[in-house]
Amino acid sequence: MEQLTFKVQRYDPEKDKKPYIQTFTITFKHGMTVLDGLIYIKENVDNTLSFRSSCRMGICGSCGMLINKLPMLACHTPIEELHTDKIEVKSLPNFPIVKDLVPDLTPLFENHKSIKPYIIQNMEEVEKPTAEFMQAQLQLQEFVQFAYCVKCGLCMAACPTVATDKHFLGPQPLTQAFRYCADRRDAGAKERIKETDVPHGVWLCHLAGACSEACPKGVDPALAIQLLKRATVADGFRLTRKKAQPSVAPPLEQKKPKVAVPEFTIKKPGAKP
Amino acid sequence: MREVHLKTLQYVAGIGIFFLVGLHLLISHLGSGEPTEWSSVSQRAASAGWLAIYILILIFGIYHGMHGIRGLILELSLPNKAVKVLNWSMLSIGIAVFGYAVYIPINAF
Amino acid sequence: MEAASKGKAPLPNRLGIKGWAWAGRYKIERYLYTLHRITGFGLLFYISIHLIANGFRLGGQESWESLMNFMGNPGFKIGEYLVMAAFIIHALNGGRLILQHLGFTLGKPKPPIYPYVDSMRRRRPLTWILLALIMALALYVLAEFVLEVVE
Repeated sequence: MEQLTFKVQRYDPEKDKKPYIQTFTITFKHGMTVLDGLIYIKENVDNTLSFRSSCRMGICGSCGMLINKLPMLACHTPIEELHTDKIEVKSLPNFPIVKDLVPDLTPLFENHKSIKPYIIQNMEEVEKPTAEFMQAQLQLQEFVQFAYCVKCGLCMAACPTVATDKHFLGPQPLTQAFRYCADRRDAGAKERIKETDVPHGVWLCHLAGACSEACPKGVDPALAIQLLKRATVADGFRLTRKKAQPSVAPPLEQKKPKVAVPEFTIKKPGAKP
Repeated sequence: MREVHLKTLQYVAGIGIFFLVGLHLLISHLGSGEPTEWSSVSQRAASAGWLAIYILILIFGIYHGMHGIRGLILELSLPNKAVKVLNWSMLSIGIAVFGYAVYIPINAF
Repeated sequence: MEAASKGKAPLPNRLGIKGWAWAGRYKIERYLYTLHRITGFGLLFYISIHLIANGFRLGGQESWESLMNFMGNPGFKIGEYLVMAAFIIHALNGGRLILQHLGFTLGKPKPPIYPYVDSMRRRRPLTWILLALIMALALYVLAEFVLEVVE
């Protein structure tokens, strides 16, 4: 393909009543991503085009857009992988549009804040820290997948419940609620379950699986939400085992003694045998 | 009742419907005669076992259906203030439907 | 976050009911979600008719038999088959949902290593097997109905 047709959603709140599609034609270059195409359009064709981007390498989560009817990160989407020369780019659905391709992610951040996305622990260690909390590799693996979330909002755009229910927490906050509940250093599971076990909470997820499909970082929100449901059922029927307090790393003096270095087998010339 | 209890009852009702309605369909259709013939209907109406099955199917089915509709209405952005009204409405409608539906097999027994 | 222009709130952009109904380029689980809803509605509609029809029993044999004659209509026979199919789909998919909602059959969390494979994709073969079972049962019931109509 030599020429690409970009059908970009435009919306200027000062001039337009509703969004419309504007078509741009640009030359394809091998390795180009959708973000590269948008930057080219902004720099060479129409500098009023507005969109968010930052890292351009799929880690900041800024450039979430609806590309050919699926929510994707523009920087993470090579044009060649779309297998078409017609690229339709719209603002992320289920979020209000600020301008052109810029969504208002405030609902995501507000819902995320409401589930208390931080370690809640009542130990004196938290007030007067002496060392780090110990955590075994297997304990970390219970939740680390869900810690890779970059808050891009693609899962919220894909979710059918978020499409109709403005009070629903959404896949991202529910995933982070489970991420903290599963963390052995955390003692706030009951508080978080109170926030998620509500009419517009975790039970409005019906496992459509679109969130996991849309996630660009492999976080698998669908799995986290179902595990949160399991934790909620255990809590609801008082089947949860009390979490042991996390242990703190021992002070340096209590480290194991160093293993003695064995004698060198090859002696230096002139050294005593 | 917390949401988790309501949802767990939904699951239990679903499993209950699966087995009981499955039983209802199998026995009605595999038994002798046409299941909708008056003689067949009267025979089942006079059976205490069938009466118990019908009552259980009604309890599970009406709960499962009402809870499903409740979820759909919640998903249409129902404000949190209206959730209590929704709960009581669903309960009232469910009880009314159960009352009408259970009268028929009890009357026929 | 405020809109670029003063006083202009961001434009609402929710998909609405289209977000329920249109599964587009998403995978099989999203389609099963929509199918589960449609079959749920269908079964609710059937239950209302079934309960009203059962009320005719109270009128005695004549009232019951006149209703059965009316329901011998081919339209009702097709409706009966659709209800059976809806029951099979809703029940078996519901079983899958109950297991997965409680965290069973989805596997354990794994640190994401590219190319990412989420739990839905890992378990997709099981979902396809379930669908095959649903299709087999629905076809069997269809065969029974066709034989009944032909006879």
